[in-house]
Amino acid sequence: MSAVTETTAAGNSERARGTSGWAYALPALLLLLIFFVVPVVGLLLRSVLEPEPGLGNYATLFGSSTYLRIFLNTFMVSAVVTALSVVIGFPVAWMLAIMPSRWASVVFAILLLSMWTNLLARTYAWMVLLQRTGVINKTLMNLGLIDQPLALVNNLVGVTIGMTYIMLPFVILPLRGVIKAIDPAILQAASLCGATRWQCLTRVLIPLALPGVAAGALMVFVMSLGYFVTPALLGGTANMMLAEMIAQFVQSLVNWGMGGAAAFVLLVVTLCIYGIQLRLFGAGRLGQGA
Amino acid sequence: MLLDFDRLGAWKWVLVTITALVSLFLLLPIVFIAALSFGNSQWLIFPPPGWTLRWYRDLFADPRWLEAAWTSARIAIAVTVLSVVLGLFASLALTRGNFRGREVLRAFFVTPMILPVVVLAVALYAFFLKIGLNGTFLGFILAHLVLALPFSVISISNALEGFDKSIEDAAILCGASPWEARFRVTLPAISHGLFAAAIFSFLVSWDEVVVAIFMASPTLQTLPVKIWTTLRQDLTPVIAAASTLLVLFTIALMLLAALVRKGMKK
Repeated sequence: MSAVTETTAAGNSERARGTSGWAYALPALLLLLIFFVVPVVGLLLRSVLEPEPGLGNYATLFGSSTYLRIFLNTFMVSAVVTALSVVIGFPVAWMLAIMPSRWASVVFAILLLSMWTNLLARTYAWMVLLQRTGVINKTLMNLGLIDQPLALVNNLVGVTIGMTYIMLPFVILPLRGVIKAIDPAILQAASLCGATRWQCLTRVLIPLALPGVAAGALMVFVMSLGYFVTPALLGGTANMMLAEMIAQFVQSLVNWGMGGAAAFVLLVVTLCIYGIQLRLFGAGRLGQGA
Repeated sequence: MLLDFDRLGAWKWVLVTITALVSLFLLLPIVFIAALSFGNSQWLIFPPPGWTLRWYRDLFADPRWLEAAWTSARIAIAVTVLSVVLGLFASLALTRGNFRGREVLRAFFVTPMILPVVVLAVALYAFFLKIGLNGTFLGFILAHLVLALPFSVISISNALEGFDKSIEDAAILCGASPWEARFRVTLPAISHGLFAAAIFSFLVSWDEVVVAIFMASPTLQTLPVKIWTTLRQDLTPVIAAASTLLVLFTIALMLLAALVRKGMKK
C-alpha cells in the first residue's frame, strides 16, 4: 500500500527502480513456465494429437456410456458433498463466530488438526471405520438399528462420507469470517421490528452470509471434482471418479490421448467455476483455499 | 438475538450440540487410528482385545519405512528453502514492483493451487518421462516446489503488504544501502510471513500424495507413497502406527507455529 502513496525522496527513487521490479519475480516465473505451463499445455496437446490429430479422443470420451457415468458420478458426489458440507458447516461456522473465545479456540484447534492431518491417515481411518466389521456397523447392529452390516465402503456412500469429512473445514473457516463480519445491530433491528427468530435467521442472517456460503460451496465443489485419493481408496474400482479415470488412462492403459482429453475436461470445468467465483466475489477470496 | 451467544435462548443448546457433534466427527478418525495403533488385533477389531507396541516395532524394523520418511524429509526441506527464497523475491516484485501485468502475475502465481493436482501430476509425469527426471530426487523437488510456491507467495505478500515501507526508506535515508535495509529492516519485520511460508511449504511437500505416486520409482519413494502402496494391499495396523506418528508430528508443527506467533506478538 504505502509503496504507492509514498512521496518522500526515497520513495520516489524506489518507485523509479520499481519499474524493473518484475525481475525479482523471474526465478519463480521461470519455474512455473517450465514445470507448470509447459507440461500442462503439452498434455493438452497430446489429447488432440495422439493417436492421430483430431478430436477423436473427445468424441470417445463423450460418446461412451462408461465415461459418461463416471462424469455423472463425479458431479453427483461433488454436489452431495458440497450440500452436506454447507448444511453441516453453517451452524458450526455460526457458533464459531459468536462463541466465547475459550470454547471457540478448542473447536478451532480441532478444525486445524483435522485439516492438517495427513490425508492418507484420515482416509485410512475411514476405511477401517466404515468396513463391514468396522466400528460403525457394529455399533448400529448392537443398538438394534440394523440386522445386516451396511455396505459403507467401496461405494459412493463411503466416498461421500470421507469427502465431506475432508471438505468441512474449507466451508467452516471462510464462512466463520463472513458471519463474524456481520453487524449484530442489523439483527437487533430486525427483532425490534417484530421479526421472529426464524425470520431473523432465514431473512437476515442467511442472506447476509450468502456470499460466504456461495464462495465456500464453489470451492468445495471444484475441489471435489478433481479429488483423487479419497475416491480411489473409499470408492473401490467399480465406482470410479474423474480424477481416478485420468490416472488410470495414463498409468494402466498408457493412453495419453484419452488421459489428456479427460484432464482437459476437468481443467475447463475447474477454471469455469473459478471464473464464476471471481465474477461474483472478486479476487480477494481466491487465496482462502490456503 | 442470533449473533449474541448469551441471548440465543433455546437455540443455543441446539447449535452448541451440533457444534460439539461436528467437532467429535472431526476428531473421531484421528483418535481412532491412535487407539488402533496400540491394539493387538491384526484385523483391527475395536475395541481391541489387548494392547501392544508390536506395530510400532514392525514399523521401525522395516528399513523401507524409515527410508521413505528420510526421503520425504529431505525433499520437504529442500522444497521449503527454495519455496521461501523464490516466494520472497516473487512477493517483492508483486508488492513493490510497478510494472504492467502485475495483477496477472499475481493470479498466475496462485494458479497451481487451484488446478486439480491430478492434472499437474499427469502432466509432469509425461514431461519428466521425456526429459528423464521421473523417479529422481530433483524431479520430486521441482514438482513439489510448483505446488508449494503459491502458499509461500500468499503468506509473504500478505506480510509485505502489512509492512510500512517508509521504515525501509528511512533506513536508506539514514545511510543504509538498499540491500542492507532489506536484510536488516524488512526481513526481520516480515519474519512471521516467512515462517508461515516455510511451514506451509514443508507440509505441502511432506503430505503430498498424488504427484508423488506418479513420480515415485521402486528405489525412490516418499512416506505418503509408501503408505499408499501399503494401503492398496491391506489395512495392516502398521499404517495406524505410522499415521499416529504423523499426527503427532503435525501437532508438534502446529504448536511450534502457535508459539512463534505468540512470541512475535510480544
